[in-house]
Amino acid sequence: MKQTFLTSLALAVAGFALPAFAQDHATTDIGTLDKETAAKAFPSKPPYSPYAGRNFPTRPFFGDTHTHTGFSFDAGAFGCRLNPRDAYRFARGEQITASGGQSVKLSRPLDFLVVSDHSDQMGFFPDLLAGKPYVLAEPKGRQWFDMMQAGKGGEAAFDIITTFSQGKFPKAISSLPGTPAYRSAWQETIKAADDANTPGTFTAFIGYEWTSNDKGNNLHRNIIFRDDGRKAGLVEPYTTQPPLGSPNPRDLWKWMAMCEEKTGAQILAIAHNGNLSNGRMFPIIESFTAKKIDKEYADNRVRWEPLYEITQIKGDGETHPFLSPNDEFANFERWDKGNLDLTEMKKNEMLEAEYVRAAFRNGLVLEAELGVNPYKFGVVGSTDAHTGLAAIEEDNFFGKTSSSEPTAERASHPFVKAEKATIMGWEQTASGYAAVWATENTREAIFDAMKRRETYATTGPRMVVRFFGGFDFEAADANNRMPAKIGYAKGVPMGGDLSAAPSGKSPTFLVAALKDPMGANLDRIQVVKGWVGKDGKTQERIYDVAVSGGRKIETDGRCKVDVGNTVDVPNATWANTIGTGEMITVWKDPQFDPSLRAFYYVRVIEIPTPRWTAYDAKYFKITLPKEVPMTTTERAYTSPIWYTPAK
Amino acid sequence: MKKILREPLLHFLLLGAAIFAAYSLVSKRNSDEPGKIVVTQGQVAAIAEGFTRTWQRPPTREELEGLIRDRVQEEVYCREAMALGLDRDDTIIRRRLRQKLEFLTDDVAALAEPTDEELSAYLKARADTFRVQRQFTFSHVYLNPERRGQNLSRDIRQLLAQLQQAGEKADVAELGDSFLLEHKFQSLPASEIVKVFGEKFAAKLGELSPGQWQGPVESGYGVHLVLVSERTEGRVPALTEVRDAVRREWANARRLESNEKFYQELLKRYVVTIERPKPAEEQKKLAEAK
Repeated sequence: MKQTFLTSLALAVAGFALPAFAQDHATTDIGTLDKETAAKAFPSKPPYSPYAGRNFPTRPFFGDTHTHTGFSFDAGAFGCRLNPRDAYRFARGEQITASGGQSVKLSRPLDFLVVSDHSDQMGFFPDLLAGKPYVLAEPKGRQWFDMMQAGKGGEAAFDIITTFSQGKFPKAISSLPGTPAYRSAWQETIKAADDANTPGTFTAFIGYEWTSNDKGNNLHRNIIFRDDGRKAGLVEPYTTQPPLGSPNPRDLWKWMAMCEEKTGAQILAIAHNGNLSNGRMFPIIESFTAKKIDKEYADNRVRWEPLYEITQIKGDGETHPFLSPNDEFANFERWDKGNLDLTEMKKNEMLEAEYVRAAFRNGLVLEAELGVNPYKFGVVGSTDAHTGLAAIEEDNFFGKTSSSEPTAERASHPFVKAEKATIMGWEQTASGYAAVWATENTREAIFDAMKRRETYATTGPRMVVRFFGGFDFEAADANNRMPAKIGYAKGVPMGGDLSAAPSGKSPTFLVAALKDPMGANLDRIQVVKGWVGKDGKTQERIYDVAVSGGRKIETDGRCKVDVGNTVDVPNATWANTIGTGEMITVWKDPQFDPSLRAFYYVRVIEIPTPRWTAYDAKYFKITLPKEVPMTTTERAYTSPIWYTPAK
Repeated sequence: MKKILREPLLHFLLLGAAIFAAYSLVSKRNSDEPGKIVVTQGQVAAIAEGFTRTWQRPPTREELEGLIRDRVQEEVYCREAMALGLDRDDTIIRRRLRQKLEFLTDDVAALAEPTDEELSAYLKARADTFRVQRQFTFSHVYLNPERRGQNLSRDIRQLLAQLQQAGEKADVAELGDSFLLEHKFQSLPASEIVKVFGEKFAAKLGELSPGQWQGPVESGYGVHLVLVSERTEGRVPALTEVRDAVRREWANARRLESNEKFYQELLKRYVVTIERPKPAEEQKKLAEAK
């Protein structure tokens, strides 16, 4: 974390005038960096060329940190026939054939992908045709090897099976563990990622999912490696089944610490679907010990989990109407019937420990108590597709599992059917993607940006969102020709920290959003603020900071006029005649108290567009039940900027 | 290397062992003799190795004992479940088994190392797949139609004249409307242009002749005036430039072929009969039901 902070600091100061950085000192593993040292390292007079030395991120990279393939036993069970290589191929923009036989292609390539198959270990057939001397010494082995080399792989495989089933498999090349060479699914996953990784064009991360599902409550985490197979290949993924593995995140963190220490790899974990955890994702009381979380928990959680997956096919996790009754956009793609397998129904008191906004709020309280905020994380969206296909565009949605690839029936059939409740196919959410402000499209740059939380989530559209916080932004900065340059110069980007407000100053924010070049216009940009009052209770408030179409933001910071709706449901179309393409503004917190902890994040709302169900209805010429929503309001959520008072 | 490769074999052997054990269990049951479970030295070593690979240290005695106890329990459950036929008609197990067999051909296909001649031929046959994309070095000035309103076409004309006069020296950072992304791009491949500006813009860019300010070019954002300073045409690369990619695609094609061939060979072992109700009969039944 310390190194990461230095990285972001270096990014912020490089190449132009000394920034009004929130913190004057940053202690790193290689010494303390203060203003003076930084000023010496980087000239304070900007270079003549505005482009020289520009090494802050200039465009976001879009990807998915969470795709399963047929290697995951459940994906395979639902009929997924694609493997990690296929998943990378598809994400790079190639047309492939989905498991169900339909052709599928993304509207445009993604920039990165993590294939995150479940960490159960799967055996492979022996590596007996690799031409090792002991294999070649065996006549059968030699014969298979030659068939292979002659391109007769199918025949060789058939002969191997036949020989094996007849009990005539040569002893010399099978028998005891340790003699023939077997590869695990993990080694295969690593190879697929290393093969697909193309620095500068497409990043293929090595990763896996630690699928903790204690009593049906979702505590899943995806583990992502910064490194290639040379380091990742030294370990086997951590599993959830005792005695070797554990369903407790504390044990996962121990494994992660061990992994970094012993292999030199760098890894991080991204949790998801708190909405199906029944009050266990962002605990105040830990479910495994029934005790209040302590400093050790907080230290580890914030160390290993810099990001959280806020939106995906199994619902949106920003907030819930029960938690945010004054938020008219809160009722969005809710999955709140019960836990993951619907064995236990939802109770209102669970919600607080399931949704991101509430976790941000509670994190402030915990920080005051423990000295560390366990819930200081940034956000990404991802798919959790079990199809090998990161295909969540509304008009190109290939579902959660291979059995929910496009058919006339998929929307109206149950998706999860349990004794106590049913989740229907139409409740699947075509969401989301991860946007990362990295300096280049490489494993290293994207991973480092994730660590410094310079990320945002989208429910699918590839909109560009900028969010900078500092104490010196002025209204004129919104007219600056290079918003990013002034943003980094005068403040910290999303995921960053502000502290110790200068006397009489309030936090100011440079906020901007640009529509998806192939998507819908934007309705509004909002800043969501959360803080903990003097009474120790947390609060939240939404401010509309930029709205389209000349609508008015009233003195209470809200725009009460709806953007309108152009969606033609039967034809599954909309028009960009409402909303706007680009918005930029400077916003100052009107109710700032420098003695109170707070966080700020941005939510960008698109104009209404057809939901995937409308595209289904049109294509398959079907009428869906009345309760099925046919429009959606896509959105982006940024990582917060936190404010911490002076000690 | 050996160590790394050990662990999964166990699963495979266990599966095999369990199948044979299931048969012997059934016969043993008849004679009221208990089934035998032997955890061999090799298996113990493999269990320990699995732990070591996960935790980067050998298990303690207690840990190893725990793992062995667990393995025995798994073995007992596996045998009993299989004796009861619980593995049959289970979609998950059936699909997993199918998958494991398919991995065999995947492996087999992955193991043949292609010659350069094979790869050259593959590259030649699928030149489009491996084409080095057209690349553009360009500058652009953005005009926001919403902000310009009715003056848009007038502003385009004026700005274009201004830009054409300034040529390469035009200060793109100060002209037109502010834009959240960059104003200058260096050697950007066509597919990246699609990502950043959308398809329409990328297509239009290809039609512009380099060296002068042109436009308007429409994108999903609005209108742009563009100076393409350099365009590098796409080309079919030499094998040495793209050997890894060609090898990857070649291996994938080989894998798909092998899988199909393997299935066709296996299918020859079976006579498949599908008892479909005849449409006429179906209709008759339906009529009767009514």
